[in-house]
Amino acid sequence: MKRLSHLSPNECVLLTAARLLDGRIVWRGRDGQWFDHVAQAACLTAEESEAALEEASTQAARQGVMGVYPVVARKGEPPQPVSMKEHIRAFGPTVHPEFSYVPQSEASS
Amino acid sequence: MKQPVGHYAYESRDREFLQERIAEFEDQVKRRLSGALSEEEFKPLRLMNGIYLQVHAYMLRVAIPYGILDSRQLRKLAHVARRYDRGYGHFTTRQNIQFNWISLEDAPAILRDLAEADMHAIQTSGNCIRNITSDEYAGAARDELMDPRVHAEILRQWSTLHPEFTFLPRKFKIAISGSPEDRVAARFHDIGLLARPSENGPLFRVFVGGGLGRTPVVGQELFDSVPEAELLATLEATLRVYNAYGRRDNLYRARIKILVQTIGIEPFREAVKAELAKMDLSHYRLTPERVAAIRARFAAPELHAVDDADAVLAQHQKEDPAFARWMQSNTHPHFDEGYSIATVSLKTPGDIPGDVTAEQMDGLADIAERFAFSELRVTHLQNIVLGHVRKDQLYALWQGLKELNLAAPNIGLAGDIVSCPGLDYCTLANARSLPLARKLGARFGDARLQEEIGALSINISGCINACGHHHAGHIGILGVDKRGSEFYQILLGGQAGDRASIGAILGPALSEDDAVAAIARMIDHYLAHRNEQESFLEMVTRLGKAPFKEVAYETV
Repeated sequence: MKRLSHLSPNECVLLTAARLLDGRIVWRGRDGQWFDHVAQAACLTAEESEAALEEASTQAARQGVMGVYPVVARKGEPPQPVSMKEHIRAFGPTVHPEFSYVPQSEASS
Repeated sequence: MKQPVGHYAYESRDREFLQERIAEFEDQVKRRLSGALSEEEFKPLRLMNGIYLQVHAYMLRVAIPYGILDSRQLRKLAHVARRYDRGYGHFTTRQNIQFNWISLEDAPAILRDLAEADMHAIQTSGNCIRNITSDEYAGAARDELMDPRVHAEILRQWSTLHPEFTFLPRKFKIAISGSPEDRVAARFHDIGLLARPSENGPLFRVFVGGGLGRTPVVGQELFDSVPEAELLATLEATLRVYNAYGRRDNLYRARIKILVQTIGIEPFREAVKAELAKMDLSHYRLTPERVAAIRARFAAPELHAVDDADAVLAQHQKEDPAFARWMQSNTHPHFDEGYSIATVSLKTPGDIPGDVTAEQMDGLADIAERFAFSELRVTHLQNIVLGHVRKDQLYALWQGLKELNLAAPNIGLAGDIVSCPGLDYCTLANARSLPLARKLGARFGDARLQEEIGALSINISGCINACGHHHAGHIGILGVDKRGSEFYQILLGGQAGDRASIGAILGPALSEDDAVAAIARMIDHYLAHRNEQESFLEMVTRLGKAPFKEVAYETV
């Protein structure tokens, strides 16, 4: 993953995890709640993400999520994770458009 | 219930055990969901029940012992796909099936549903002996020396919940074939067995230390002729040596192939012999009576060929060239002249290799019931085989497959692409493999073109773990990550079988589109310069990789 210290001005950090109940990918919003869609993820600076990650990890079990980690994304509506792996996690498998998490028009990076 | 043809049979104690195991797992799931168990504590428990956590959801891998299913079981898998997944199942290169969209809270109910059809997900993960794989033409092929299912079933019983081999240094894969040509990639398994008959009963040629993955190795012969009576003792001794000396300190050096490579095949063989000398062989002896009891479950079905089957088939082929083409590529000679073995391609051009919808599963179950004694075999190349089909009924079978969009005439041809799920689903992957498989499948989807190209295997893996067996493909493709972008390394000249070899890397990795174009140019080069009757692999063997590399990279 791209190093958090090397963010370019148009990039930010998202926090993601997997939901315990069904393993689905979730994204952390500004209010500390977890959402199904990357569009609701808080776009954080590297400094903000450090504190948020610590807080989210502490609260993970209580909030029913696991494996919290940071993801570098290009800012936008919705944010676009930089790596292909995180892009697939954010928008769904590329081979089944019907399984996409957001409209395909928003999924293009 | 009438016992299906050629199938393992559960006893009441098997079913009781499964129910106990599911109840235990259900309690573990409850404790995980309540927070009483952490993920660290729960992970080994879920993996022991076939539940992985993948990119988008939990994934359930269901065991299909030596690839054999009956219609009832396939309908149950369709039910799981429809009710608990998103309407799909994915057949794997280990003859199993995976469901990619499973919810943890549903897992116990799914396992209970599977148990109703004598299925489970035990030993589909973890450092134990995994599903025993076997020859998809077992008990049906004209060229078969010996039906391997009998001993595959013996190995299934021996390896299931074997207390000594539940925590091996690493996973352990065994394959068995009874064919003169190795149809199970025996030399690419931790242990590969090639069975043959003799005047004094079955004999087994044993290969050890083969495998793909990070360190691809062709297995070496451990013993040439192990008699049936000593088969289990020999396997047990081999596993004991591995269990004792295999590395546990380094995940990447823990497979038996590393041990065999490190100490050498001779010292390894001596260690196995020394272990055997310490064992009470009578305890492991397979008696003719025990074997006969299991063989009875694999008796050939009652075949009733019609007299004019060949004439009827010839007429159908004459009337319908598309059917004739499918016959050419998708059938194999049966031991009974009036029957044929039919392979259903799960590689419809442009579709995902190995993926089947719930509707297709139900349709295949119906077809197997109607034409093939309700029996199906999943192949390690991600297709489905119907073992015993009357020749005069092949045309009706093919028409049924067409309705299911499963009649691609491409077995063993360029469109018969093997692929792992890749980055679209797998957490281990570095690159996507399915989009590339679809592009190549579409590029070479034309049946006439595939026929012209002839025998060609294209295998794709999304990472170095090689679930798509890229080292063993005539053309192999390995997805790699370069600073967050996907690239594809091309390998050339790999093959499984009697002359197993590992493909050689052609050159620098290419982008997806460049890889497709490079492969197309290599195939064009082959078509333009091959000798008469020369296959792609034979030309690679004759000329080496240099001319293919030259055309592959000519515009890059």
